[in-house]
Amino acid sequence: MSMKYFTLLTLLLAALAFTGIAVAETEPGSQDDHAEHDPYHLQNFVTLFFGEQLKGHEGFLEPIFSAIVAVVMMTILTSVASRRTDNPSRLQVAVEMLMGGLDTMVHGIIGETGRRYTPYLGTLFIFIWLNNLSGLVPFFHASTSSLNTTVALAICTFFYVQAIALKENGIGGYLFHMAGSPKSGVEWGIFPLMFVLHVAGEFIKPMSLSLRLFGNVMGEDKLIAVFVVLGAGMLAFTKMPIGIPIHVPIVFLALLTSTIQALVFTLLSMVYIALMLPHDEHHGEAHAHETVV
Amino acid sequence: MELLGLALPLGVGIAAVGSGLGLGRAVGSAMEAMGRQPEAIPQIQTAMIIGAAFIEALTIYALLSVFILGGKLG
Repeated sequence: MSMKYFTLLTLLLAALAFTGIAVAETEPGSQDDHAEHDPYHLQNFVTLFFGEQLKGHEGFLEPIFSAIVAVVMMTILTSVASRRTDNPSRLQVAVEMLMGGLDTMVHGIIGETGRRYTPYLGTLFIFIWLNNLSGLVPFFHASTSSLNTTVALAICTFFYVQAIALKENGIGGYLFHMAGSPKSGVEWGIFPLMFVLHVAGEFIKPMSLSLRLFGNVMGEDKLIAVFVVLGAGMLAFTKMPIGIPIHVPIVFLALLTSTIQALVFTLLSMVYIALMLPHDEHHGEAHAHETVV
Repeated sequence: MELLGLALPLGVGIAAVGSGLGLGRAVGSAMEAMGRQPEAIPQIQTAMIIGAAFIEALTIYALLSVFILGGKLG
């Protein structure tokens, strides 16, 4: 029983390794005139089949893979949704465990009233996680490895958080919160300065969210590409089209950082929502108003 | 001038020193806390990983400038 899984896993790893090497060898014309084409670049099935049509419209690549991930996500998740049975299948148990974990996390950070924000935050986590992981699948491309997707996600989160703040506090309460919630005469005096600081802080949050996710995912993908090219050229002296798959440990590292970065993005979004909600039952604790970068 | 070729790796190196110090402190305190209370190890581990991701992000910002400006190196 375990022998079958072991051989399957080895075959999968070998397939990953050699496919990675094969696609790195078939780079598009590296003798181009524009010098900014980097040699460390893994192909995906869109650039392989539609490479010429994509020349002027590089921005089309990310939405294609985001859409593929979204379709896969919806298929898996809706196939087990709202299925009430006493004997759930393994997939249903796994999905429910994931949902329970996300709900516990949201409850822990935002509190009991925060459960209504779990749909958005849970979807955010699963979407970012699957997008990060799709960079490891052969012939796929991680759409979060480009600034297009990450800035879009950060902007969505920014508008969601501001909308929650407006809804929960009202317009007056929102402006009051932006001014630093002045209570004493001194705080009313420096009200304009605090207002500017808080508004700037609000804008830096989506910037840091997007840059962190983009940097980590693109860094991992580029690292894998560099190791693939290195490994492909290792046995070049034998004149055989075979390389050494030294990028396999990096793939495992990429598995870890994909999950962690998805978690960090979601956790930070939860913290931003929690900061915006009226928290008047914790008057004794320190008023957490610092910007988390 | 080839100052860019000198400045970029130096920048990343200095950022790595800072994040190395910060991570050392964070993980060190996490290890100490785990030693004091072994039954809280899962929570401490989760918090340590999340804190490490934040500290690492600052080095990633420096690495980003290498990716963006790296094409300008002749």
